[in-house]
Amino acid sequence: MSAVRASGVRKCFTRGAETVTALDGVDLVVDAGQVVALVGPSGSGKSTLLAVLCGWEVPDAGALVVGGGGAPDAQGWGELALVPQALGLVADLSLLDNVLLPARLRGPHRRSAAPTALAGQLLAGFGLDHLTDRYPHQVSLGEQQRAAVARALVLRPALLLADEPTAHQDREHADRLLDALHDAADDGTAVLVATHDEVAWSRADRVVSMRDGQLTDGPPS
Amino acid sequence: MRVLPPWTRAPLLGLRQPAAVLAVLVTTAILACAVASAPLFLSSARSAALQEQLAPQCAEAAWPAIGIFAPAPVGEQAAVAVAGAPRAGWASIGQDAVPALHLGSSLGPGGNPQTGVPVTGPGGERLSQPAQVFWQPGALDHVQVVAGAGGRGVWLPASYAEAAGASAGGTITVGDAPLTVAGVYTDLFDTEPGAYWCDHADLFTNAASADTPPPALLLATDPQTVVALAAAVGGSLRATAAVPEDGSRLTASRAEELAAQTATALAAATAAAGTGAGGPDPRLADARDRAVQLEQGLRGPVVPVAVAGGLLALVLVAAAGSAWADRRATEVRLLAARGVGPVPLAGKAALELGAPALVGAALGGAAARLLVGALGPAPELDPGATSAAVLVGAAAFVVGLGAAAVVAGLRARGMAERPLGAAPSWPARVPWEVALLLAAGGCWLLLEGRDAVVSQAGVAQVNGLLVAFPLLALAGAAVLLARLLTAALPRVRRWAGGRGIPVFLAVNRLTAARGAAAVLLVAVALPVAVLGYTATLTAGSAATLTAKVGVQLGAGGFAATATRVDPAAVRGGPGTTVTRYADSTLTGADGDRVAVQTLGVDPATFAGTAFWVDSFADRSLDDLVTALTREGGAVPVVAAGLPPGPYRLDLGSLPVDVEVVATADVLPGRRSGDPVVLVARDRVPEVPPTAGADQSVERWTDGDVAVAAQALRDAGAVRVTVTVPDDVRRTANFLGITWTFGYLAALAVFIGVIGAAGLLLHLEARSRSRVAGYVMARRIGLTRGAHLRSLLVELVGVAAAGVVLGGALAVGAVAAVYRRLDVDLLRPPTPLLDVPWPALAATVLVALAVAGLAALHGQRAADRADPASVLRG
Repeated sequence: MSAVRASGVRKCFTRGAETVTALDGVDLVVDAGQVVALVGPSGSGKSTLLAVLCGWEVPDAGALVVGGGGAPDAQGWGELALVPQALGLVADLSLLDNVLLPARLRGPHRRSAAPTALAGQLLAGFGLDHLTDRYPHQVSLGEQQRAAVARALVLRPALLLADEPTAHQDREHADRLLDALHDAADDGTAVLVATHDEVAWSRADRVVSMRDGQLTDGPPS
Repeated sequence: MRVLPPWTRAPLLGLRQPAAVLAVLVTTAILACAVASAPLFLSSARSAALQEQLAPQCAEAAWPAIGIFAPAPVGEQAAVAVAGAPRAGWASIGQDAVPALHLGSSLGPGGNPQTGVPVTGPGGERLSQPAQVFWQPGALDHVQVVAGAGGRGVWLPASYAEAAGASAGGTITVGDAPLTVAGVYTDLFDTEPGAYWCDHADLFTNAASADTPPPALLLATDPQTVVALAAAVGGSLRATAAVPEDGSRLTASRAEELAAQTATALAAATAAAGTGAGGPDPRLADARDRAVQLEQGLRGPVVPVAVAGGLLALVLVAAAGSAWADRRATEVRLLAARGVGPVPLAGKAALELGAPALVGAALGGAAARLLVGALGPAPELDPGATSAAVLVGAAAFVVGLGAAAVVAGLRARGMAERPLGAAPSWPARVPWEVALLLAAGGCWLLLEGRDAVVSQAGVAQVNGLLVAFPLLALAGAAVLLARLLTAALPRVRRWAGGRGIPVFLAVNRLTAARGAAAVLLVAVALPVAVLGYTATLTAGSAATLTAKVGVQLGAGGFAATATRVDPAAVRGGPGTTVTRYADSTLTGADGDRVAVQTLGVDPATFAGTAFWVDSFADRSLDDLVTALTREGGAVPVVAAGLPPGPYRLDLGSLPVDVEVVATADVLPGRRSGDPVVLVARDRVPEVPPTAGADQSVERWTDGDVAVAAQALRDAGAVRVTVTVPDDVRRTANFLGITWTFGYLAALAVFIGVIGAAGLLLHLEARSRSRVAGYVMARRIGLTRGAHLRSLLVELVGVAAAGVVLGGALAVGAVAAVYRRLDVDLLRPPTPLLDVPWPALAATVLVALAVAGLAALHGQRAADRADPASVLRG
C-alpha cells in the first residue's frame, strides 16, 4: 500500500523576471514499510519536493495523494511527520517536552502511555537521556537534530519525510538515526529521506535521484 | 592599519536590519526624551510660576517700569527734569515707554509734607478733601464724561466738582495756583473703571477701608499742567515710565533681560533727572525671583526623577544593542570566530547604529520639546533651556550609542564564546536591587529628621527625599519581588504540565526565559506602582489643598466689600453673608489677650454654605451655629483654638461680653493663624467707625461669585472684590508641589512607554527564534487559537501579575508617605487620602490592553511566517 503517490507534480518559483522550475513532472510512490533515499545535488529540488509532499508548498500541476487521501497539510502527525532542515524545535520546551509535544497535542482523550515510553526509548537510543530537561539552545546542533527525529517518530507516523536527518551527526549517531528510521519502517512507516549521506543511500530500500527538478529511479549516475 | 569592509561599510550594512535600526532609533529617542525633558520642564515651570504670579495682578505688573520721585517741594527746573527723565531713560536704550505723572503731596502750613494738595473752590471755600493730580496718555479716554469744556487744565470727579461748586470751564485753586476746570467726569469708584485703571486703583479707592478715602483724583489734560502745578504748589512729583510687555507669555529669561534693561534705563533716567530718588517697579523682579526660587525647589525632585528615567531608558538602549547582535548573529559570529574581540565588534555596532541613534536622539529631543510645550506647566521656554536640552540630548546620543555598542560587542563575543548550557555568570545572580532598597531606607532615615514639605519664602516644595525614597523603594521592591516570583516558575511549570495547551505553552515560555519574564513583570509593575503612588498622592494633595482653600475662603468663593453696607440687606443667589471685623481681640478671665478673627454670621444660612469637613469638630456645623442663638447671658460665640468660658471680645475699642459656648478644631473663614470666633451677627452691637474696627462684608457662596458680588452692589457696596479658590492656590504657591507630582506622573507614563517598547522589543527579539518552533508546532497539531490563547495567558498573565504587584507596592508607598505630605502645615486640615479610582482603573486597563495587543502582534508575526522558507536550513 502506498503512503504517498505523486504523479506529474510541477512547481515553479518566480524570482524577479526569472522563473525557476523546482519540480518538473515528478512521479513518486513510497510504500508503507519502505525507506526511500532521495538524493541529488544541492538546489536540485529535494527540499521543494518534501515541502510539496507535506503540504507547505502547493504544486502548480500534477496529482498528489498522501495516506488515505485529503490535503497533505490536513494530515495529523500520526499520518505524516517530518524532520525539516531547520528542525523546528520549540525553543521554550525542553527536549523531552519537544519530543512529547505531538502526543500532548493529540488531546487528552487520545493520550496513552505508549508515546511516553517510546519517547524514552528514542531519547536513550539517541544518547539524549541525560539532556531531556535541557532547552534546545542548551544542546548542540546534532543533539537538536536527534531530538527532532525522535519527535517525528514518537507517534509512529504512516509517512515520515526527513530532510538531511544525519547532516549534523558523526558516523555513530548517524547510524543510530538510520537504525531508528528502519525500525519505524519495519513497523509500517513509509520513510522518504532527502540525504547526501552515502551510508543512508546504501541502507535504503530504494534510491531516487533528483536533478534539475526531475526525478529518476536509482542513484545518480 | 587597514580597516576592513565590515567596518568601512558598517553604516550601510546596518540598514539591512531595519528592525535593529528601528529599535535603536526608538530607544535612543526615549532616552533623549527622558533626559532632555528635565531642563525643558524646569524652564516651563519657571515660566508658568512667573505667569501665574502675574496673572491675578494688573497687566502693568509685568511691565518693566522705572520711576523718579522728587519730594515736596519740587522746583520748576527739577519738575521739568524729573517729568521727562523716565521716558528719556527708556529712550536711551531704544524703548518707547508709557509715561505717567503724579502730583501726590504738598507742603502743609507747617512746612511738613502732607498727603494731597489743598483745593479752594470758585467761591473761595477750602475743601476738606485735598486733591492729587494725575496724567497719563489716554486717561481721559477711559472716564465717563459728565461735562467737558475743552482746553488745558484739569478734570474733576463729579462728586468733588459738586463739593467745590465748580463746573467745566470754571476755575479752582490748587494750592495757590488757579487752574481751569477743563471737564468733569463720573467718579471712578462709582463706575466699573476697567483694565486701564486697574493699576491705579489706589488713586481713587481705599480697598482696606471705606472710612478714609484717598485725595480726590484730578486728571490733567497734559503733562505740562502737572509739571507747572507741581512747581507752583511746591508739591511732590512722581514720574514713571513703563514698557508694555505681555505677562501671559513671559519667560524668566525674558524677565531677566527686562530687569537688565530696567537697570540701564533707570541709571540713564536718574542721570537725566539730576534730582530725586529713582527706583524700578519691583513687581516683575519679585515675581521672577519667586519663580526662580520655585524652579530651584523643583530641581530637587525633578533631576533625580529624570536621571532615573534616563537610566531605565539606557537599559532599553542596551537591550536594543543586544537585539542588534542577535540580528547580525551570522556575521558577528563569523568575525568573533576569526578572533575579532569585543572592542572592534562594539566599534562595528557603533558604526552601524550611529546614524539611527543620532536620528533617535534628535527625535527624542524634539518630542521632549513638544511634550513639555503641550503638557508642561507653560509652553514658553527659555532659550537657555532649549540649548541645555540639546546638549543633554547630545550626551544621551553619545552615552546611548556607547551603551548599545558595548552591550552589542559583549553579546556578539559572548555568542561565539559562551559554552552551551553554561550557568549564568555571577553578576547576573547578584540581587543588585537590594542596593536600591538600602538607598531607599537611607532616604527614609534622612527624611525622618526633616520636613517632607518645605516652604522657602512662602513657596511650598516637596523635599527631594520624599520623591527619591518611594522611587528607589518601588524600583528595588519591584525587581526583588519579580526575581522571587520568577524563581518559582519551575514549580509552576511542573504544575502546568497537567494543564491545557495554552497554559502549558505560556508557562513554559515564561520559564524558559525567566530573566525576560522578570523584566516584563517589572516593566508592568513599576509604572503601575509609580503611577498609583503619584496619582494617589496628587489626588490626596489636591483634596487636602481644596479643603485648606475651603477653610480659608469659608466657602466655594466669596465677594467682599469694605463699603459699610447692611449685611441683612445683602440678598441674591445662594450663599450666606458674613461680617468680618478687623482688629478684634479676645481677653479671657485670666487677662490673657489674643488677637482673633471675628466673623458675624447669619445662623440661618451659615451652616448651609460654609465649607465643612466632619473631622473639624466633634459636632456638626449646624449644631455649632445653633449654639450661637442661645438666649440670655453673655453673647454666645463659637471659637477654634480657645477653651470654653467667658471672655471679653474687643471689636476695635468696642468691648462685648461673650462666652465661648462651643469649640472646634477648625472653623471656616480662617485667613490667618489667629483663632476664628463665630458670633451671630444680630447679637453684635453696632460698631461705630470711631471704634477703629474696620469691617468688611462678605458674601460667601458655593455658586457663582458674580451673583454674590452683584448682591453686595445691590445692597450699596461700591467697590467689590471677589476671591475664588484659584486666587488662594496661586498666592499660596503650591504650584511646585502640583508640578512635582505632575512630573512624577509623567515619569510613570514614560516608564509605561518604556515597558511597552521593551515588550515589543522582547517579542521582536524572540519571534525570530520562536517562529520556526511555532510553524512546526502548527504542523504537529497546535491550533492557531490555542497559540493565541497561550500568548494571551503569557502576556496578560504577566501584566495582571504586574498590576497586582505594582498596586500592592503603591499601597505600601502611599501608606508610608501620605500623612507626611502636608502641603501647608499652617492651614488645617491635615492630609486627606483620596484614591483616584478612574485613573487607576484606566492604568490597569491600559496595561492589560497593551499586553493583549502585544499578544495579537506576536500571533500576527507567527502567522506571517512562510513554513517552507522558515524551516529550510
